Amino acid sequence: MDHPAVRYLFVIGTAAFLQYTLFTQFRIAGVSADLLLVVAIGAGIVAGAERGAIVGFACGLCLDLLVTTPFGLGAISGLVAGVVAGLLEGATVHSARWLTSVIAFLSSAAGVLTFAIAGSLLGRSDMLSLHVFTILAVVGASSALLVFPVVRVCRWADPEDLLLRAAVR
Amino acid sequence: MASSRRGGRARITISLLLLSAVLLLTLDGRGSGPIQSVRSAVLTVLSPLGDAASTVVSPFRNAWNSAFDQGDLKEENNALREENDRLKGAITANSIAKEQLQQLLQLVGIPFVGDTPVVHTRVVSGAVGNFGDRLELDKGSSSGIERNMPVVTGEGLIGKVIEVGENRSIVSLLSSGTFKVGFSVVGTAAIGIAQGTGSDGSLRGANIDSRQAVTVGAITATSGLAGSPFPPNLPIGTITAVRTNEAALESTVDITMFANLNDLVYADVVLWKPAS
Repeated sequence: MDHPAVRYLFVIGTAAFLQYTLFTQFRIAGVSADLLLVVAIGAGIVAGAERGAIVGFACGLCLDLLVTTPFGLGAISGLVAGVVAGLLEGATVHSARWLTSVIAFLSSAAGVLTFAIAGSLLGRSDMLSLHVFTILAVVGASSALLVFPVVRVCRWADPEDLLLRAAVR
Repeated sequence: MASSRRGGRARITISLLLLSAVLLLTLDGRGSGPIQSVRSAVLTVLSPLGDAASTVVSPFRNAWNSAFDQGDLKEENNALREENDRLKGAITANSIAKEQLQQLLQLVGIPFVGDTPVVHTRVVSGAVGNFGDRLELDKGSSSGIERNMPVVTGEGLIGKVIEVGENRSIVSLLSSGTFKVGFSVVGTAAIGIAQGTGSDGSLRGANIDSRQAVTVGAITATSGLAGSPFPPNLPIGTITAVRTNEAALESTVDITMFANLNDLVYADVVLWKPAS
């Protein structure tokens, strides 16, 4: 259980379970929070773009197993969200809670837009309807809130990174 | 130096992951068997957990819905009052229209589902993700349900089964635009192809011979032509607009579905497979 990969598998499995059983039940304007996307963002914030990409890809694959959209769309979306979160976190000079929320909002927006655009390129033109803006708003806002506990969980999953950061400081 | 090496490795990792995702999309697009099997297996494993969770969180979900849908409920209440008044005034006309509709359906031989067996199911939940209109039903392959079987309510066609687990089925709604259905216009020889527009209960029909007299208010039903994945005569909806392109000798129509896709509680899966 000490290896980050094992810990992340546990985190992603738990997130998928919670998404399927709990988060889909609570919707605003027909849209629910996307916990798997937040885990990808959390990994990007904690350990950078590469880790965000890997965790985002795995989270997306989990989501792909639960939905009926083309298999692989979730993987691309999670990957993009994780990379964007990692890049934005790396580009910020100082860290603040509101900044973390903004990064989560922007990263989830990137993930949602990637999903919609890639889906429409694959023939699902209905994905690029006006409903995308509702999804962007709800998923973005929920990600901005959920990112704080998720980042703590990702820090637990990435102890090596934590140690490295502590050593640098 | 170390940071540039690390950046290069990150770029390679991200590129490989992107390529893998594209490969998966390609495999899925070609209808790869293993992916469908894995999705069905996941559905089977998770369905009991979904049932349990749905029961446990039901009171909280109701409270949540009433908190966030209050504005909608007020609007809906006002709209319903208006509609009620209007309907009271038009009740006589409606009863006549209903009688005429029944006569028309009998005349053109719409038996709806007829003798074809159906499986009565309960709608368990909506979509897990935020894209794509789909429903989850509480019965699956153990009840004889298979992929591509039509799903109806008492009002008409709502979609088709796209995933089947042992005790769960996933239905893609007709309005989602993910598949097409061949339709005929009742009382005419007009046929066409309808597809969802992505918004609730709204379809667009195309490929209709413009020489056919298609009018607003006409009823559409599945055509069931050879090779169609749907049996004939499942009611779809009424035509709300007709546009004709004289140059192309083709008409397109807007169709409003009979079935109300909001707050679906029960649905029937028609155990029908197209003749091979």
